[in-house]
Amino acid sequence: MTDVIKEDQVLDCSGMLCPMPVVKASKAMKELQSGQVLKMIATDPGAPPDMEAWSRQTGNELLRSLTEEGKFIFFLRKK
Amino acid sequence: MSVWKTNDPDTKKILYVQTHGEKDPERTATPFFLATAGAAMDNEVCIYFTMNGPQCLAKGNGDKIVIPRKGGNGKELKYFIDQAQEIGVRLLVCQPSLDLHGYTMDDMIEGVEMIGGAAFNDMACDADAVIGF
Repeated sequence: MTDVIKEDQVLDCSGMLCPMPVVKASKAMKELQSGQVLKMIATDPGAPPDMEAWSRQTGNELLRSLTEEGKFIFFLRKK
Repeated sequence: MSVWKTNDPDTKKILYVQTHGEKDPERTATPFFLATAGAAMDNEVCIYFTMNGPQCLAKGNGDKIVIPRKGGNGKELKYFIDQAQEIGVRLLVCQPSLDLHGYTMDDMIEGVEMIGGAAFNDMACDADAVIGF
C-alpha cells in the first residue's frame, strides 16, 4: 500500500505533444511555492522519460509516476 | 563579456546551431522545439542561425515556411518560433550569413540578436552542449 500524495495543483496536458507538456509543467511549477506538489496528467507517450529527465535537470523531485486508464500521471514536488 | 547571461554555475548552457532554411522546411522546426524543451528545463538556451538558417528568422517567413506533415495539416514555423521566444530562447545571427541572403537586421523578426564568429566560438567553448542541425 502506497501513501496518498496530496497535490496543491493539477495540470492536465492530455492531448498535448512534445514539447508542450514540459513547457506547461515548467510554467505551472513557477507558480508554486517550494515544497508544494504539482499533479500532472499527460497522454504523450514521450512524457514518462521526459518528465524524469525534466525532474533530474531542474531538481524538482518526481515523487511518483503512474499510468491510469492510458494516461500518465506525475507528482512533482517543487524544490 | 560572454553572450551567455547566466552567472549561476548550476544553470546549464545549451547552444543549438541551425543551418537550414526555406529550401528544407522539414528541417526548420526541430531546433526551435528542442530549444523550447531545453529552456523549460531551466537551462539557458540560444540558437545560432548560420548558412541558410537566417531565412527562418526573416520577417514574413514564419508564416511562409510550413512544416510538412503526412496527411496534410502542416504547421507554420511561426508557431515554433513564438513558443521558443516566449520561454526565453535567444535567437542569434551573424553578419556574413545575413549578407549571403541580402538581409539586414531590419529584415529579421523582433528579438533577434547579432553576434560574430568569435563570440559564437566563445559561446561554444563555454556551453555545456552544442547541437548542430
